[in-house]
Amino acid sequence: MSLLEGIRIALGSLIANPLRSFLTLLGIIIGITAIVAVISVINGLNLYVADKLSNQGPGVFVITRFGLISNHEEFLKAIRRNKRLRLADANELRERSELAAAVGSEVHSTDNLTLRGETIKNVDIGGITAEILQIEPYEVDGGRLITASEVEHTVPVAFIGADVADRLFPAVDPLGRQIRVGNRNVTVVGIAKRRGSVFGFSRDNFVKIPISLHQRLYGVRPSVNISVKVADPSRMADCMDEARLILRMRHHLKYDAPDDFGFLTAEGVNSLWENLTRIIFRVAVFVVGISLVVGGIVVMNIMLVSVIERRREIGLRKAVGARPRDIRLQFLIESVVLSSVGGVIGISVAWLLAWTIRTYSPLPADYPAWAPILAFLVCGSIGVFFGLNPAAKAARLDPIEALRADA
Amino acid sequence: MGENGSPVIEIQDLWRSYEMAAAEVHALQGVSLTIRKNEYVAIMGPSGSGKSTLMNLLGCLDTPSRGRYVLNGRLVSALDDDELALIRNLEIGFVFQTFNLLPRATALHNVELPLIYSRMRKAERRERAREALRAVDLEDRMLHRPNELSGGQRQRVAIARALVTRPSLLLADEPTGNLDSAVGVEILALFERLHREGNTIVLITHDRDVAAHAQRIIVLRDGRVESDVEQARKEPVAP
Repeated sequence: MSLLEGIRIALGSLIANPLRSFLTLLGIIIGITAIVAVISVINGLNLYVADKLSNQGPGVFVITRFGLISNHEEFLKAIRRNKRLRLADANELRERSELAAAVGSEVHSTDNLTLRGETIKNVDIGGITAEILQIEPYEVDGGRLITASEVEHTVPVAFIGADVADRLFPAVDPLGRQIRVGNRNVTVVGIAKRRGSVFGFSRDNFVKIPISLHQRLYGVRPSVNISVKVADPSRMADCMDEARLILRMRHHLKYDAPDDFGFLTAEGVNSLWENLTRIIFRVAVFVVGISLVVGGIVVMNIMLVSVIERRREIGLRKAVGARPRDIRLQFLIESVVLSSVGGVIGISVAWLLAWTIRTYSPLPADYPAWAPILAFLVCGSIGVFFGLNPAAKAARLDPIEALRADA
Repeated sequence: MGENGSPVIEIQDLWRSYEMAAAEVHALQGVSLTIRKNEYVAIMGPSGSGKSTLMNLLGCLDTPSRGRYVLNGRLVSALDDDELALIRNLEIGFVFQTFNLLPRATALHNVELPLIYSRMRKAERRERAREALRAVDLEDRMLHRPNELSGGQRQRVAIARALVTRPSLLLADEPTGNLDSAVGVEILALFERLHREGNTIVLITHDRDVAAHAQRIIVLRDGRVESDVEQARKEPVAP
């Protein structure tokens, strides 16, 4: 019996009893839908994060007091060990690093801004050196960036985010107008191009002022983040080693002492994120796996019922010359076709889900090409595995007994 | 008259025993007979006489406990499942009391079924199945499903399926048992025509009137041949 013939027979008996087929396949459909949907969402999240969460372009790293710390214990140690980074650390790097193209510093504090009765809470007030705006980089929507000379001379100027501009100056051009930061009036000299939001957090709710002014308004205690742009992006690792060496020498660390500062890179953020989603993915696969096993058992059950119901057919096929292996193949094909149809339905539903998420949320949910192929293979394997026993039963039937069975 | 043809079936001292609970039941106890080409034989006997067991053995659905069975010159009493399946496919055409058609398949597909297992190419298969349906006058019902056919038509589809492989033996088990007598006569007329066309037919029945259509009547009782009589050829029933 040819494969095509077997598939035709299998589809025939599937269609002959649509409700039963659907109920049989529900477990597999749900399982496959869930797994492909999870793949889509995680894939979408990864794309979204790669696109948005890391502000830095390629060839940029940031040195901070803590770096990327993903566990609590590590964090407690770091709090005791790591000193705040100072502007002087950045200056040392700028002077001594040979591989860095630019070194910038930024300090952050959070404050409320008020202008003519309108208050914006929790605005990120960044004290910067001029390099920061080029390293990160910020695009200008109106006006200009803060200059190095303004930083050097503590000139009260501000470069503001689109949200701040919209909220404080809904009707007028903010350029040249004054806002009150801390207890100083500063003049708006530039507005940043809108950068959108990540997971609902706006990235346009900021005011950048010269770092010298920031230290005067908010004190010198906050730790400085040092951004380094590498001259040759292919030598990023070398440049980080160089920076590490310079800072360790400056901090007088013993050769076996751990760093008392940390690095942030786009790759680092992404890999931390991907570690997280990998764990979510594994848990999801495990849970879905249970559903698929249950689905497979249901398929096996219905195949066993089918073997009993169709004893006469099996007897007849044997009488006209089907060998045991022909019967086994027929029922195996049926079970594979059955579960593959479940897989196809599941993949379709997942596609619809991904499309809905993609269309109605900012998440670019989509599954990679390997996901449906994998899902299909998994379904096929379920069909084979759970079809083996019923198919063997059918193949072993005694033709005489089978022909005598009640129709 | 049987002397003219070469033997299709030669069985010698055939035994078939079953283990039943404690006792051993001997359904066949040393049956020997020869059936030649183009014979039309009826096997009769009351229930329990062993005629179903004999039919299963003749049809290669079962293997004897003891004895030799040579079908068309081949010793089949010692073959394994796969080889028996091949013999059934090539040498034997079954006609059952309950037709045993695949309910969801068309008449054409039902008739094609044995050829699928002999791995014939589709176009040739189609042609052979059409030809077999033509032989039982059902060419115009080719694409009907069994539930769209009358009982007599269903049995004719089953006969076409038995003929399609051009078997050396047509084995019919109570072929008129599920049909009313008028239709039964029609089917028996068809068997007589097939016999005239050169087929070897073994018909199992408990009905004396049905058996009367055959050339030779073998009566079984308690697993043994009680009588084996050739009878004068009746005038063929007008088709």
